[in-house]
Amino acid sequence: MRKMRDVYIIGAGMTQFGKHLERSLRDLGREACLLAIQDAGIRPKEVEAGYCGNALAPAIQGETGVGQNVFWEVGISRIPIVNVENACASGSTALREGWMAVAGGFYDVVMVIGVEKAVMPKGTMLNVGASELETKLGEVFPGYFATIAQKHMERYGTTREQMAQVSVKNHVHGALNPYAQFQKKFTVEEVLNSPMIADPLTLYSCCPNSDGAAALVLCSKEKAKKVNGRAIRIAASVLATGTYDNQRDITNWEVEIRAAQQAYKMASLGPRDLDVVEVHDAFTICEILHYEGLGLCPLGEGGRLIDEKATELGGRIPINPSGGLLSKGHPVGASGVAQVVEIVWHLRGEAGERQVQGARVGLADMMGGNKEGDTRACTVHILVKE
Amino acid sequence: MPDSAKATPSTKTGSEVPVQSGLFNYPLTDGETPALKGNRCTQCGKSFFPKRAICPECFVSGQMEEIELERQGVVYASTVVRVSSPTGIKAPYAYGYVDLPANQLRVFALFTGADPGSFVPGRKVEVVLEPIGKDTEGNTVVGYKYKPVTG
Repeated sequence: MRKMRDVYIIGAGMTQFGKHLERSLRDLGREACLLAIQDAGIRPKEVEAGYCGNALAPAIQGETGVGQNVFWEVGISRIPIVNVENACASGSTALREGWMAVAGGFYDVVMVIGVEKAVMPKGTMLNVGASELETKLGEVFPGYFATIAQKHMERYGTTREQMAQVSVKNHVHGALNPYAQFQKKFTVEEVLNSPMIADPLTLYSCCPNSDGAAALVLCSKEKAKKVNGRAIRIAASVLATGTYDNQRDITNWEVEIRAAQQAYKMASLGPRDLDVVEVHDAFTICEILHYEGLGLCPLGEGGRLIDEKATELGGRIPINPSGGLLSKGHPVGASGVAQVVEIVWHLRGEAGERQVQGARVGLADMMGGNKEGDTRACTVHILVKE
Repeated sequence: MPDSAKATPSTKTGSEVPVQSGLFNYPLTDGETPALKGNRCTQCGKSFFPKRAICPECFVSGQMEEIELERQGVVYASTVVRVSSPTGIKAPYAYGYVDLPANQLRVFALFTGADPGSFVPGRKVEVVLEPIGKDTEGNTVVGYKYKPVTG
């Protein structure tokens, strides 16, 4: 890879995730943008390019060009603004676009925002990708992950209790996070006894639909020195796409393993160097696969990692201290940015009650969209406090 | 929300339309058994379902031939969905993936003809054509499903 410039995050902000029925995409986006701009100590005028992750506005609100709308709310116009859609990885892909632009020397200061309004009427499910054959036949999101859970249980002996424990852990974390949609703890029994959605995944094994926004200000090293003493370096930014190998073993995501390896190489770090991690726990089984895909444990041992309590706050490698998608909520296009906001706060020591003490290296892992039983997009970002 | 149930456009209301063209023959001719139609690259031999215009391995156009997939397969993975689908399928309903060893393909499919919870991995199943819902024009949408192999 060619020589690239170091890129730093100097501003981070987000709205609370949850139901914001009275608020618009612009309203949520404006709040997150202003927080990030204020945090960075810059003026909107200094931003040279903007990247906006949003997945569902064209389908749900019938709105396109969300990025231009949101940036204009905070007085940012004229500059290049790019709208990015990569399903759940929309926000993290927007971050990668911003990172590339600064790393490549095109700009010194850019902004990244992720924003979504995805709360649906009770009892309805998102119906995106409606033109895909699987969707036309009746596939729903939880079902795909349910088949993964079935195979992981069959192949590795992963249990329903271990999967439920992921939800229990993340709700314990979320109860410490004022930005989380749910501030409520559950027991394993409550998770297992909540209504079945797609066997073996119950209601509390699935993340909610949410509204919210998160934003970041990125800049070059020179600029970071000038404006802010709390800059966090982006040590790796990777985006990968699935192989769509029709007959692959669905108990792991090859695309995630590949993306993580690329990220570790780029950062000259390994899984043992990580202090705090945010992963895409849209469903409980996902978090177990992510442990394995990121190399935090060998393939098949994700359930054991949960049993050992290694991934709880205070454990060896805390995962999803924010509460994850399960508890913090999942405004699709915002989630990938919010993960990085959370990591930034931990590396700065600003994560409040859920702070991972002494965290120096963090990782954010996001996956987006299904195709042929594989994942369309996977992003991995590694952040380092210098 | 975009229209979810919209299938292949039809000329008259109240008729039966396949969920997507090219997946299977419909309506069947007298004595014709239901079967899925895929295609295969004549250069590398790799099979696809649904059909692809170009082999992604060989990247040569015009080298694809239609094949009929084997009618029977083996359940690879399954789930029972306990909420009704956005396309109007009433819960509970089962779906999953069926392996077709001779074609070296795995097919996403709804299951039918038995208790939804009974389609465990390893179960032998065979393809059938059945209604899966209605489109916005009132047409019956016909899709493929797999039922248990009997006898």
